[in-house]
Amino acid sequence: MRRFLTPKSLIGLGIVVIMVTIAVAAPFVIPASFATRMQLAMRLQPPSAAHWFGTDQLGRDLFYRVMLGARTSLTIAGAAVGISVTFGLPLGIISGYFGGWTDIVLMRLVDTLLSFPALLLALTISAMLGPSVPNTIISIGVAFTPFLARIIRGEALRVAQMPYVEAAQATGTSGFAMIIRHVLPNVLPLVIVQGTISLAFAILAEAGLSFLGLGTQPPQSSWGLMIQTSRDFLDVAPWTALVPGAAVALTVLALNMFGDVLRDVLDPRAQR
Amino acid sequence: MNRREFLTTTGLIGGAAALGMSAPTELFAQTTPKRGGTLIWGHSETPQTLDPHTAGAAASGRVLQNIHCSLITIDKGFNLIPSLAEKFESSPDLLTYTFHLRPGVKFHDGKTMTSADVRYSFDRVRDPKTGAVNFEVFGDVDAIETPDATTVIVKMKRVNAPFLSRIAENGAGAIIPTGSGDTQANNPNGAGPFKFVRREFGHEIELARHEAYWEGPAYLDRVIEREVVEPTVRLTGLQTGELHVINDIPPDRVSETAKNPKLQTLGWFPLNFDFLNMNHAFEPFKDPRVRLAIDLMIDKEQLLQGALWKQGALTGSPSFPTSASYDTTLKARTQDLDKAQALLAAAGYGPGKLNLVFKVTTNYPYHVESAQIMAEWFRAAGVNMKIEQLTWADWLSQCWSNRDFQITMMNFFTLWEPDFLYYSLWNSKGAFNYRNVNDEVIDRLTQQAREVVDPVARAGLYKQVQERIFDQTHDVILWFRNGTMGAQKNVGGLDTVVHPNGSNLNFHKAWLNV
Amino acid sequence: MSYILRRLLSIALTLVLISMITFGVTNILPGDVAMMVLGTQSNPTALAGLRQTLGLNDPLALQYWRWVVGMLTGHFGNSLMFKVPIGPLLLQKMTASALIVVMSMALALACAIPLGVWSAVHRNRWQDSTAASAALLGISLPDFFWGIVMILIFARTLGWLPSSGFTDPSVNFIAALQHALLPACALGLGLMAHLTRITRSTMTGILNQEFIRVARAKGLDERTVIWRYALANAIGPVMTVAGLQVGYLFGSIIVIESLFNYTGMGWVTYQALLNRDIPLIETSVFVIATVVMLVNFLVDLLYLAVDPRLRQSR
Repeated sequence: MRRFLTPKSLIGLGIVVIMVTIAVAAPFVIPASFATRMQLAMRLQPPSAAHWFGTDQLGRDLFYRVMLGARTSLTIAGAAVGISVTFGLPLGIISGYFGGWTDIVLMRLVDTLLSFPALLLALTISAMLGPSVPNTIISIGVAFTPFLARIIRGEALRVAQMPYVEAAQATGTSGFAMIIRHVLPNVLPLVIVQGTISLAFAILAEAGLSFLGLGTQPPQSSWGLMIQTSRDFLDVAPWTALVPGAAVALTVLALNMFGDVLRDVLDPRAQR
Repeated sequence: MNRREFLTTTGLIGGAAALGMSAPTELFAQTTPKRGGTLIWGHSETPQTLDPHTAGAAASGRVLQNIHCSLITIDKGFNLIPSLAEKFESSPDLLTYTFHLRPGVKFHDGKTMTSADVRYSFDRVRDPKTGAVNFEVFGDVDAIETPDATTVIVKMKRVNAPFLSRIAENGAGAIIPTGSGDTQANNPNGAGPFKFVRREFGHEIELARHEAYWEGPAYLDRVIEREVVEPTVRLTGLQTGELHVINDIPPDRVSETAKNPKLQTLGWFPLNFDFLNMNHAFEPFKDPRVRLAIDLMIDKEQLLQGALWKQGALTGSPSFPTSASYDTTLKARTQDLDKAQALLAAAGYGPGKLNLVFKVTTNYPYHVESAQIMAEWFRAAGVNMKIEQLTWADWLSQCWSNRDFQITMMNFFTLWEPDFLYYSLWNSKGAFNYRNVNDEVIDRLTQQAREVVDPVARAGLYKQVQERIFDQTHDVILWFRNGTMGAQKNVGGLDTVVHPNGSNLNFHKAWLNV
Repeated sequence: MSYILRRLLSIALTLVLISMITFGVTNILPGDVAMMVLGTQSNPTALAGLRQTLGLNDPLALQYWRWVVGMLTGHFGNSLMFKVPIGPLLLQKMTASALIVVMSMALALACAIPLGVWSAVHRNRWQDSTAASAALLGISLPDFFWGIVMILIFARTLGWLPSSGFTDPSVNFIAALQHALLPACALGLGLMAHLTRITRSTMTGILNQEFIRVARAKGLDERTVIWRYALANAIGPVMTVAGLQVGYLFGSIIVIESLFNYTGMGWVTYQALLNRDIPLIETSVFVIATVVMLVNFLVDLLYLAVDPRLRQSR
């Protein structure tokens, strides 16, 4: 536990907690209409006492938009990682634990999917389903699944070959019970570590998709969409990009810092 | 001259003439034209096919205006004037048109244009297999005769008043050499001031001077059309000097660009009109009270300011503002949320009862902004509205082709010919009637106008059509949008570049001072 | 050699799978191809005719078969929006993208390796945490954000490099490099940060190993120990990770090329997706996936050539 309580992990964890709190609490504290309220006389205003983070091209307050956007961005990232874990975990465990033809077939499929760049896959799926928040979640989630399946498979393979597991197998414990009792608990730390890092990538992926017009739909606010909109005003109103950019950077940075420490502590491969 | 005056004068008196936006006209054309040089034009859109007959998009037309010519063309007052035909006449009953071709006109491949080429071009557009976008223009044509090498006679089955005007645009009227149809898409060949050199797909198109052009050779050696779709990137390219000319300055940057001492800007009016579309097959919009309520929710002045940074002027009529059929009595309705709510309640849609999805294409970013602004007013009037962004392809397929939408927004270019405008868009059988408008009065008037020869009587009929559209709120006509160009100071003759239709560009009389 | 043979077989199988996935996904895309081709001014007659000509009314299996046979015989079909044969078009776009991908990879490695080594050598001191923080920041912002910042600084303000566009290297090599430099930097920044982290952790592991201690005990100077002995062993894993990141780069070029108007593979794929140019989408997605797979295969082979232990164990 002491290895866990480094300044790095505490800062990381602290920022993540703050961001999640904002995402959860902001919609209760700030009325949703604040993010879409427009004042055309106040467009592209720099940060001031009235508008702490300035305003965008339609005179909307960026403080409210970035606060309310936190939920959209974090929900998309969280749900997308949730989907990739839901599919990747069983896929990886089954493949790694049972081996043989199951493994060969599943991993051939996963390797094939890995040949498609994740963003390209997400973009294609998103274009196929049409732009909306649920569809963004699905496309990022599906695009991330093969990575997770590959990593979990390796770990499941390692666990399956451990002496105590082989011994239990010899006593006739069923495959399903084995997975629940022995494989899953051993794989879980890795899932947590990879999940944290995937969250960071999912936030960036949401931003990338929104940048191409396929993520969150206006007037709803998300960090990716805010950066996308800001690019036409970047040289006259740099704060329109810096505010959501800082929100993304801070969150991803925190997740990465936290993930690094988690990996040192939890990842079995890192413990030599 | 301030902004408002500019709009007023050009909109109502001055004609569609291109005028300096920031400074009086003497900024232009004071230096003597110079021969030579390569002009790089940063184009706002990517043209698709370069075949003049099958190209539907304005982006292709903008480039092809430099490569192709029609038999006749229009001047700034929309009068038909000779082009490849040095003379043309129509019989008093409007059933026979005779074109006398200009002798010795050379195509880019060196061949001399004859009546056979004209016949070939017209037949190509008429053939439904070609997929020409304007093939219905020739729907009333009975026969095309070529008594000699320089005479073409077109015989009509019945009167089609708009025929000549329609073939004055390249879409229906571009004359191409016999047999060149299949190669036009990738290797266009016409009789215009510039010939096609090469195309790097999605990046640039290079054109070179056609020395034998009938109106005299262009000043520029070459024109390179470079596609820079990102608005800010395009503007940055102009500021850094990588581009000589750009079309479509981002609306929020127009005034700043106009003040830049290293640049010149050109504004003209109008580039296109925008309107809000309601699907008449969608249950709530079958009720004219609901359509009127939607109109009353919109503060057009604010919307123009918010979405277009005031780069346009409000209108109640979609007719080209300088054309004879423009009805000056129609004025955009002012916002009245109370009345809108009362109308909705009367129609059975009290607060929260009307739920709409606004489909908007990302092809026009200011449409996305408009939808967001309107959503706020709609909410204030008790109407819930969600926005769905569509790519251009999806918009075409969902809204245009399948008519699967509730509310959307669109713009149209170059519909200065009233038949093209009103019949196509509002007649129940019109080719562009994607809103399912079905109004017997409009159907009758637009058909009647096709057969009326007297221009004043025709204009009168079209004014009745506009009033009907306005009274019934078939669509909400919003505004005419300004066209803008930015250029380096050394570009001469910028004021000659914009075609009277407000959309196409032609660099024949532009030059570079070195 | 049998290993390579087996790999080649598995490549063939993967290619079949890639083609099936690509075809499956692209053919459920909504949007009417014929409509897109004809634009706003289409009419039902022309639409029906075009659907027939393009074979859009045929069963999917037949369309798939036609596509595969076409590709095997070198007939990639025509792009619907660009109206040109897809083969030469994609070859040109692939060359353009290869230029920025290779440049960004070279830039990333050239910066990441020294930085990672430096960080590992000064482990847990300020040099390390500075490098680590910089690397973290690098991967914490979307690459297009860095791209926008670079346009503003190097093109707009300083005017050193063009803000956007593409020049064919065979036409003007210097101009081509100038156009490629900013996109390559934006693309390589995240990669550099990632590779710095990998280099650091690999080097840290190696510097703790027995043979390094032996080398130091033998009195070899520190410079030789680090750059000759340690790095030589670290370069393999770093290159492997770098190779795997080619897939990531080919995803990122979609955003970066669109931002810089750099008309390469990513740009053309995105345009094809936007315009529902199905033949172009399926072929370009297929080509990207194939290139990524082949690069990974080559990295494997290289690794095999470098590390003889692996050859035996397989």
